[in-house]
Parts: sequence; structure tokens; C-alpha cells
Amino acid sequence: MMSNLVFLPIFIPLFFGALLVFFNKKQKVTINISFLVVLLSFGVSIFLSYHVFSDGPLILETGGWSAPYGIILVADKLSVIMILAVNVIALTAAIFALSSVTEKMVQHYFYPLFFLLIAGVSGAFLTGDLFNLFVFFEVLLMASYGLIIIGGSKHQFRESVKYILLNLFSSILFVTTVAFLYSVTGTVNMAQLGERVAQVEQQGILTGIGILLFIVFATKGALFPLYFWLPKSYIVPSPIVSALFGALLTKVGVYSMLRVFTLIFSHKLELTHTFFIWIATITMIIGVIGALSTSNVKLIIAYNIMPAIGFMLLGIGTFSAESLAGTIYYLVHDMAIKAALFFLAGLLVWHAGTSNLKKMGGYIKTAPLMGWMFFIASLILAGIPPFSGFIGKYLLLRGAMDEGYYIAAGVGLLSSLLILFSVIRIFIGAFWGELKEEPKQAVKTSGLAASVVLIAISVLLGVGAEWFYPYVQAAADSLIDPQIYIDYVLKE
Amino acid sequence: MEILMSILAGTLFAAGVYLILQKQLLKIVLGTALLSHGAHLFILTMGKLNRGKPPILIEGVKNYTDPLPQALILTSIVISFGVTSFLLVLAYRTYQSNKTDMMDQLRGTDDE
Amino acid sequence: MLHIYILIPFLAALLIGLAAKKVDRIHTGWFVLPVPAVLFILFISKLPTLAEGKIVQSVANWIPSLDIQLSFYLDGLSMLFSLLITGIGTLVVLYSIFYLSKKEQLVPFYVYLLLFMGSMLGVVLSDNVFVLYTFWEFTSISSFLLIGFWYYRERSTYGAQKSMLVTVFGGLSMLGALILLSITAETNSIRQMIANRSDIIESDLFIPILILLLIGAFTKSAQFPFHSWLPDAMEAPTPVSAYLHSATMVKAGIYLVARFSLIFSGTDVFFIIVSGVGLITLCLGSILASRQTDLKGILAYSTISQLGMIMTMLGFGTGIATLAAIFHIFNHATFKGSLFMIAGIVDHETGTRDIRRLGGLYTFMPISATLAFFGAFSMAGVPLPIFNGFLSKEMFFDSSLKLDQTSGFAGMFAEWIPWLAVIGSIFTFVYSMYLVFGTFTGKAKLDQLEKKPHEAPIGMLISPIILIGFVILIGLLPNLINESLLAPAVASVTGDYALTHLAFWHGFDNTPLHMSLLVVAVGTILALTLKRWQPIYNRVPGKFSTDRVYQSIVNGLLSFSSKFTKFYMTGSLRLYTSIILVFLVVSTSIFIYVTDGFKIAFDDLAPVTWPEVLVGFVMAVAAIATIWMTQRIAAIIVIGVVGYGLSLLFVFFRAPDLALTQLIVETITVALFLLCFAHLPKLKKSDKKPSEKLVDFVIAASTGALLTIVAISAHSSKYFESISKYFVENSYKLGGGDNIVNVILVDFRGLDTLFEIAVLGLAALGIFAMIKYRDKGDMNH
Repeated sequence: MMSNLVFLPIFIPLFFGALLVFFNKKQKVTINISFLVVLLSFGVSIFLSYHVFSDGPLILETGGWSAPYGIILVADKLSVIMILAVNVIALTAAIFALSSVTEKMVQHYFYPLFFLLIAGVSGAFLTGDLFNLFVFFEVLLMASYGLIIIGGSKHQFRESVKYILLNLFSSILFVTTVAFLYSVTGTVNMAQLGERVAQVEQQGILTGIGILLFIVFATKGALFPLYFWLPKSYIVPSPIVSALFGALLTKVGVYSMLRVFTLIFSHKLELTHTFFIWIATITMIIGVIGALSTSNVKLIIAYNIMPAIGFMLLGIGTFSAESLAGTIYYLVHDMAIKAALFFLAGLLVWHAGTSNLKKMGGYIKTAPLMGWMFFIASLILAGIPPFSGFIGKYLLLRGAMDEGYYIAAGVGLLSSLLILFSVIRIFIGAFWGELKEEPKQAVKTSGLAASVVLIAISVLLGVGAEWFYPYVQAAADSLIDPQIYIDYVLKE
Repeated sequence: MEILMSILAGTLFAAGVYLILQKQLLKIVLGTALLSHGAHLFILTMGKLNRGKPPILIEGVKNYTDPLPQALILTSIVISFGVTSFLLVLAYRTYQSNKTDMMDQLRGTDDE
Repeated sequence: MLHIYILIPFLAALLIGLAAKKVDRIHTGWFVLPVPAVLFILFISKLPTLAEGKIVQSVANWIPSLDIQLSFYLDGLSMLFSLLITGIGTLVVLYSIFYLSKKEQLVPFYVYLLLFMGSMLGVVLSDNVFVLYTFWEFTSISSFLLIGFWYYRERSTYGAQKSMLVTVFGGLSMLGALILLSITAETNSIRQMIANRSDIIESDLFIPILILLLIGAFTKSAQFPFHSWLPDAMEAPTPVSAYLHSATMVKAGIYLVARFSLIFSGTDVFFIIVSGVGLITLCLGSILASRQTDLKGILAYSTISQLGMIMTMLGFGTGIATLAAIFHIFNHATFKGSLFMIAGIVDHETGTRDIRRLGGLYTFMPISATLAFFGAFSMAGVPLPIFNGFLSKEMFFDSSLKLDQTSGFAGMFAEWIPWLAVIGSIFTFVYSMYLVFGTFTGKAKLDQLEKKPHEAPIGMLISPIILIGFVILIGLLPNLINESLLAPAVASVTGDYALTHLAFWHGFDNTPLHMSLLVVAVGTILALTLKRWQPIYNRVPGKFSTDRVYQSIVNGLLSFSSKFTKFYMTGSLRLYTSIILVFLVVSTSIFIYVTDGFKIAFDDLAPVTWPEVLVGFVMAVAAIATIWMTQRIAAIIVIGVVGYGLSLLFVFFRAPDLALTQLIVETITVALFLLCFAHLPKLKKSDKKPSEKLVDFVIAASTGALLTIVAISAHSSKYFESISKYFVENSYKLGGGDNIVNVILVDFRGLDTLFEIAVLGLAALGIFAMIKYRDKGDMNH
């Protein structure tokens, strides 16, 4: 079905982001508008999801040019799930922003950059065109470059240089790879790419090109050994920016892998996807080792991004309907819980006046709610049932064991333990023990509220899994059979 | 010709990579410019070179060079221009605030 | 119905969490007390149903799509545990009302306790393995919170963290086993798994499944080598130790082994691991108990040892052994629960639990002392008909002697096992005597106590009195619970229902009695001479203790992580880039090689013409030259040469729009470079070592080569006609423009262009912000 509705999740933030450029001196107005925008966008995403799940995928042929000639936006089940998740994150970020975004940050165009980031991410989730995906990558990256330096401290400049350079390299590689792929297949439309690569059974150089593309996405998604840019650069900006990065940026990489390696490059599974499983396994270990290596609270959370990405890649590598469902579930779960943890870490660091865990202690007395939120968030992150992390992890582990990937599954189990250890250390170190130093400032209410909302969502995603899982399974089912997507896009 | 151009683009890429492996921020920025050039040349080469007329329609001419890579390059050129400019200013600000433009002095530690 | 039973503690926890703070005149425990009491009665009321050989069950939807269902059922085994959980629970809550003063954080205490109660009921009632796992982890979590109840004490947080790491480690191992079981048996229901037993036993995964599952059970039940968390868990308030860490939670592992016995029991591996670990734990725990100085420490090691004994019997798997195990589960809960409570009373009334500072307390607290004597004698297995502990120990000996009647591995070890059982029991006797005589007899050392000891208030005594009452009652009349409680429980472990009459007296001429007498004789000698041989313990090097092992694992992990991560996360961009590039080159090359991806075709190429080649050559030279540039101006010039060369190539290759754009962009970029370079330091000559330069060169050259190879292969394998044909044909007709590239940009692919502008705008915004709003002080980050 054709619908302009598909463009709205991109257009709304784009339009208002551009508009807010002119209000950077008016904090009140900006905040009010931004709130309306996230609410509007959230409403639209719910409406869109409802439509897609009841009437099937929606397509927008931009400019009226049909696929594969024009750029099309495709809202299939996977895409709307992602769009919905993005908007939840945006909504909670807007709540968090109420007490944490200073006048100076508003002046530095926080809100326009924020909305453009959302627009870029949403575009990446919706586009059905590989080159257009590159363009949306650039939009979200450029917005992230702007966001990471807000504040202008020297650490920020130092880390953002590395962040930008490595991302720039992968972007250049991306656009080059798209060209290679175009040369072989004569198209850049993803559905047609899927169709044509299938027709020649992914022969010749195509697998090599696929691996190049994997490396591009793996760099964005922070997989071993391509994640070096991530930990430090995620902790230098303001907590809200860290949370947006942690929740959204790496996930775009994972989404792209999920799309490209189910739709296009899924004909040499024994080579490519086995490779993915190894990469996933190593990423889980290395990431969790990183999380145990430091006493910097923010860095612990940042390192924890990697094992999660490893888990998601495990599902793509295993490539069964069950494990893909696990990847999607984990993806959504991880967006919520990573945002929550970055929020909480930010609040904790403000409260304590330091990010060094060794200098903290006893804050359960001064900030009990924050402490308990941290505790629950730790359990959720580690995949303790009945919370959201468990459902995804269960599917992924089960999928991996079902296909005989016992080592990967074992590493997954072990890394769950170490993930728990790395975050429960924060709870024990910062909230238990004697109160060493009086807190520097009270916990910001709206910040805490945003965290509570996200944690509640995570709990709900676990306890109420039955309300969500069938949709995720449906999305996974349509990934495992790419012909559905291809037919839908090309033969209508 | 396409093979030669591929080699040339590869050479640009290699030179760019060599530069981004250097310590001085300035050289690294120069390197990214070379990488972009290499990438654009790759894209152009991936359409067929020199077959037919420039892609501007003229009565009676049937054969044109592949216009799509050109369109993609145009988009890409503009984007890389934006990123390069941003990077240049960032390099300048990094130098200003960190008092160095040598990457090995821009490492940082855990505890800050 | 069972759902509601499990739900009640959780609801109560919620209610108390929300409401109890409002009523601070009454001890919160009074509001909690009815919960386990009512549940106990409810469970008791189901006894007749079970006696008829029926089971109670109920199912509700949770995640039907994943076949994770809230299906609960109550059979003999579940009933025994449910009664322990709610019965001991009632007594513990009652005891805690007097033990914990109102100044303590009572609300969290009871919330955690109720969470535990509900979760533990969930564990023993679940039929769905993943629901069981959920509750299992929740018992670990509530135990963590209860051990860390006095969170400001370092020992408490240490113990809490340790118990969580060890039990969650086991839990995850168990999860692995459960997933494998579920895959192999194609069901998530324990009863279905038992029905599909042969699929599991014959599967290649049988041994991994068994080991993973047992690691879960062993960590929870503090079996060697995972036992060392339990002594550290003694930092929890004493009611918690009595409840979780002796009577219920630590028996979850026992429950798990018993529950899955119908699948695994009878196999050699099961016997070797379960009985082997059980026997080691039995002996080690009892030997180590005698070296402890903390009353609760002695009790903790005693618990470890006793659990080892139960585990051993489950490993035997014979009918009599199972009956003995089940009987001992009950007995242990009674005497150990009461002993913990007495230890708590001693602590409460004297201010210390250090046995070296205690002694002669009999005169000050006669009731407590009497209770303790009964408990300890029962634990030691003193052969008198008033101690239930003796009965089950006798049965343990008996079952160990009858092993030679079994086939397989058990028969081979039959000669040795009774001896080990005796050794373990001797030390059990020793520490039991050490515990009570050391505390209650001898000379009182009042000067070493913080307060003058006196008898505990009656409220604190009720619970141990009731428990000791059971010790004696069951000791006298074991058959009282035999038919109603023990036999159904045995039936659910072994599968068939065989009522065995429990008798105290089997005549003088029976080996178990001789073994008991031997235990008492040697035990008495050792207990009397304890002071003399106790120093031997100090000869054992500390590094062999599992506590040290745990610590070195944890510390080793942290320091390894730190070193390892610092090793490669150096912050060096060059290192990061190098690794990324090497990975890029190596992995892509391997894939191209394996898939035979390289291809070069000469049939469809543009002719080589000199102007292009010349320009290309100049560009290549200029590009390489940038490497050696030390003058900023020179660097800009060579970069400019490459850029303008590219526009020239665009002209040659019939891309007029590109040429124009490239020309403009290149000019602006050069201008920007000039502008920025004025503010940046001069280019320096590279001070790298030749080896580093070589590495850089190799990486750079191989990256370039790889991309060239892919490009040539891609160009040589044009399998399909490009979609561009459509643009050429329709550019004018539908797009209304002559310039195809322009039409593509503004029409066919207009979205790209829209967002390309967005990128440009964003860059401008970023640059503007960087320049305009600089140097106004750092913001918090």
C-alpha cells in the first residue's frame, strides 16, 4: 500500500529540527516545541505501527517514482518496530532533557541536532535504497558530530576527532562499496539487490563486497575489532547525548546488518554467517572484559554496549526465525535499557561529583530511588528473567544451541554473568557502603523520571512478552523469507 | 581504462590511508580528502567509462554514459565537503583547546 | 489455586512496601506473620488430596508463544518443600519480630523476605523449566539483598556480591542445561521431559546437560567446590541464615537434583558426580566446621556438610537412600533451624558469636542451652530414640552399605563409601559437641562479653522450642509423617510408591548401629582432645581454600581486564586505524579467496587514451607526494593537484556536472585549508622509526590494492543491466529535463538531495557553534 504516512517519522523531526535552529536563544520556547514534536512523532509512530501490523507493509515512492528507479521508503514490520523504539527513546530523552539541557546547550543547537539525529536514524530504518541508507547515515553521523562537541571541553574535542575520523573512513568505504555493488548488480534498490544477488546465487566477488559492507556496519555497530572509537567517545559528551548514542547509533549498524544480511547476502550462509558468529563471540568477551576493566561508571556502561551488540550479531549469524526474533527483541530491549543506564550513570555522576566508583559510596541513603532503579536496570541488562533482556537472550541462546553453536552460546551465558558483575559493582560500590562524601547535587527529578519510564518499559517488555513477542516473531518471519519483501517492493 | 582508473583510485586510497596513519592531525585531514577523491573515482569507474555521450539528452543520440554513478558522486561530493569542512574546524579547535595537534598526545585516560 | 499461593507473598511484599511505613508503632513483622502461616495451613489442607495419589496443578498463560507457561503442580516433593518454606517461614518471621529491633530497616527486610518466600515457592512448584529458572534467579537476588541488609558493612557487601556471583553463575549454567534439555526433549515441561527420558539419555548432549544442570544445583546448595559463598552469607541477619541459608534456599539445589532424578538417576555419570561431590562436601564441610570460631560459621560449614550428605544419598538413587534423603531434608530443617535461632539468641544476649569468648552460658540461659543440646545431639546422630537426626543418619549408613547390591559404578565403590560416611559423621559429631559444650558449659568469661547474658524473651524462644519439639516428636514417632509426607515425596523422586516402615530399633546385630557407635566413640575422643589437634588446621596452606580461589578469580579477572584493556585501548588513533584496516584487508581477502571472487575481464573496457593516463599519473604522483610534504603550502598545492586532476578526469569521462561541482568544491576546500592552516602548527617531519613506516606502508598499500582488486572484479562481473537505462529513457519524458544527472538528483532521487542539504546544514550549524560559542568555559561532562 502507498502512503505518505511513511515519510512522517522522518519529516516531523527534520522540519522541526530545522525550525528550532532559529530559536536557539529561547530555551522555554524550544523546550515546549520539542515536547510537542516528540509527542506528535510518537503518536505518528504508533499509528504507523498499527497500520503496518493490521494491513501489511506501507511503501512511499518518493517523488512518485516506483522502485527500483526512485528511492522508496518501506515501512515493514521490522522498520516500524524500530521506528516505535526510536520514538520512545526520543520521548524519554525529551523528558530527561528538561532538567539536564542547559541554556548553553540549547544555544549550541542541542535541539536541532537532536531532531536531525532522530530524522537520520528514522530514515535509516525506513529507506529501501542502499545509497539512500548511506545518505541517512551521514545525516545521523553529522548530527552526532555536532552533538558530541556540545560543551566544547578539550576531552570532547580530543575524543570526537577520533570518533569522526573512524566514522568518516567507514562512510567512505560504504559509498565505495555501494558503487561496487552497483557495478555487479546494476541497481541500488535493496529489494532488487536482494532479487538479483539471489539470481546469481551470490557468486564471484559478491561475497567479498558483502564482507566490505559488513565491515562498514560493524564499524558503526561497534563490533570486534572495530569498536575502538566507541567507549571513550561515548562518555565525553553530556549524559543525554551519551544515552542517545548508546541507544540509537550502534543500533543503526545492527539494523543495517539485519536488513542487508537477510535480504541481500544470505546465500553463502556457511561462510559469512559462521564468520559472524565468531565475531559475535569475541565481541561479547572483549566487551565485557572492557566493562570490568575500569572504575569509571560511565565507561562501564559504555563498554557494555559491545556484548549486547555481540548478542544481536549472534542471532544474525545463527539465521533462524527464532534467533532473528531474538535479535530484534534484544535490539529493542537494548535501546531502552542502554538509554536508561546512560541516564542513570549521568545522574549518578552529577550526584556524586565524580565518575570514579572508588570515590562513591552509601548513596542509597541520599538517592534511594535512583539506587533501586540502578539495581533493577542491572538485572535487566544481565538478562535476568522476567525482564526484557531475558526474552531476547533466551531466543538467541536457544537458536544458537539449536544450530549447534555451543561455544558461542556458552560465551553468551558466561558474558551474562560478567555483565551482571560489571554493573552490580556500580550498585554495590556507589549505593552500598558508608556514605563517604556528601552528594554534590540532588538527583534531577525529570532525569530520574525518564529513567523510570524506560525501566518500566523494559520490565513490561519482559513480563508482558506475550503482548510484544508475536509482532517481533512476525517481523523475524518476514526477514527469513526475503521474497516477501522483494515481491512487495517490486511487484506492486 | 577502467582497470587503470581502478588502480589510480586504489593509489589515492593508499596514499590517503598512509596519511591517516600519521600522527599529525593536519596530515590526517589531508588523508581524508584523498580518500574521498579515491572513492569518487571508484564510483565513476563502476559505471562504464567513455561509452557514449555526456548524459545530457540530445535529439537522435541513443548512447549516453551511465548517469546514476554521476548523480551518486554529486551527492557524495557535497557530503564529503561538509564533513571535511567540519573536520577542519574541529581540528583547529582541538589544537586550540588541547594545545597540540599530535595524535599521540591526544590519548586521554580513564579517570577524567 | 497454586498461582494464588505463589502470588500471595509477592502481593504482601508490595503491600508492606507501600503501607507499613505508615504504622510504625507495631513491629512490621506482625503484619508479615499471617502470610506464611496462612499459606502453611493452605498447603496442609492439600495433604489428603496427595495422600490419594493425586497431584494438584494449575496452568495460566504467560508467554504461550514461547511455551513459557505458568504451570504449577504440587506433588509429594513439592509439598515437602512448600511446607518447609511456609512452616519454617512462619517460625522465622515470628522469631525475627523479637530479634530485629524497630530501629532496623524493617520494611525492606520483610519485603526481601517475602520476595524470597514467593520465589522459593515458585521454584518448587513450577513445571515449566524456564519459570523455574526465573524463580531460581529471584531466590538468588533476594538472598543477595538479605545478605547485604546491613549494606554499610563491608563484610555484608562482600558476602552479598560473592553469593550473587556464585549462585548466578550456577543459575546461568543451569539455564544452559535447561535450554539444551528443552531442545532435546522438545518440551519445556519437567513432567514431559521425564516422559521423554530416553531422548535425553540417548542424546549426545546428555553429559553436558547433566554437568551444567548439576553446576546449578551445586552452587545453590553450596557443594564443593562452590561452597565458600555460604559462610560469607552469614553476614545476613540470623533469621535469614536460619531460613534461607539452612532450611530452604540452599536446599533448592537438592530439590533440583531430586526433581530431575527420574531423568538422570541410574546413570553412572549421575552417581559419580552427585555422590562424589556430595561425599567430598560432607567430609570437607564437617572437617572445616571444627576450626571455625564464629557460632554461625560452624553452623554454615555444618550446613554445607549436611547438604553434602543429602546430595550423596540422592546420588545413590536407591529407594532407601531417597527415603533417607527426604527424611533428612526435613530433619535438617528442624534441628539446624533451631540451632541457628539459638546462635542468634546467644549473639543477641551476649553481643558476640565468637566461641572463644563464650562458655558457661548454661547458668544464664538454661532454656536456650537445653534446646541447643537437643538440636546438636540430633545433628550429631547420637543413637537415642528422641533425635530425628539419628534416624536419618542411620538410614544413610544403611543405604551406603546396601550399595553393593546395585550394579554399575555404584557397586564398584560400595566398599569405600561407608567409610567416608563414617569419617564425615565423626567430624559432624565433633563440631556438634564443640558447638554446644564450648558455648554453654565450662567457665563463663563474663569480662569478655559486652553485656551480662540472660535468658532470651519468650517470643524468641517459641520458634526454636517448636522446632526442637519436632526433633523429639519425629525421633520418637517417625511414622507420623511417613505416609502423609515422606512417602509421596519419595514417590515423586523415584517414580514408584513404596511405603517403608521407619523403625528406630533394628537390634544390636546390625552394621549401621555399629557405625553409629564407632562415630560416637571416636567422635568423643576427638571432641575431648579438640584443643590439642585444632592447630593442625593452620598447617593447611590457605591458597588451597576455595575462598582464596574465588578471590583470586575475581581479583584476577578485574586486574586482567584492566591490563588487557589498557593494552589495546591506548587512545592511539593510529593503532585503532591500523587494526581496523588490517581486519578489513585480511578478512575481505580471505573471503575473496575462498569464494574465488577475483575476476578480471578485458572484453568490455574503454580504450586507453593518453590525456587521461597522463592526468591520472600526475594525480598519483601528487597523492603520493603529500606524504613527504613538510611545507603547508606545498601540501595544499599537491592536494589541489589531485582535486583539480579529478575534475579534469570528470571532464574526460563525460561528467560535466561533476567536473563543475568538483571544481567549485575543490576551490572552496583549498581556501578552507588555507584558512585553517594559518591557525594550525606547521607540518613536522615524521619522527617515526623505519619499522613503523614500513608497517604504515604495508597497511596503506594493501588497503589500496584490496579495493582495486574488488573494483576490478566488480567491474568484470556485470551480471545485470543497470537501472540507468530507465533514467535515460524517461528523463525527458517523465522528468522533464535534458540533463539526466540533474533530473536524477532533483527528481528520481530527490530524497538523497534533500538530506544531502540537511548534512550540509548540520555541518554549517556545527561549525558555526564551534566558532561562535567557544571559550566560554567548559560545561560539565
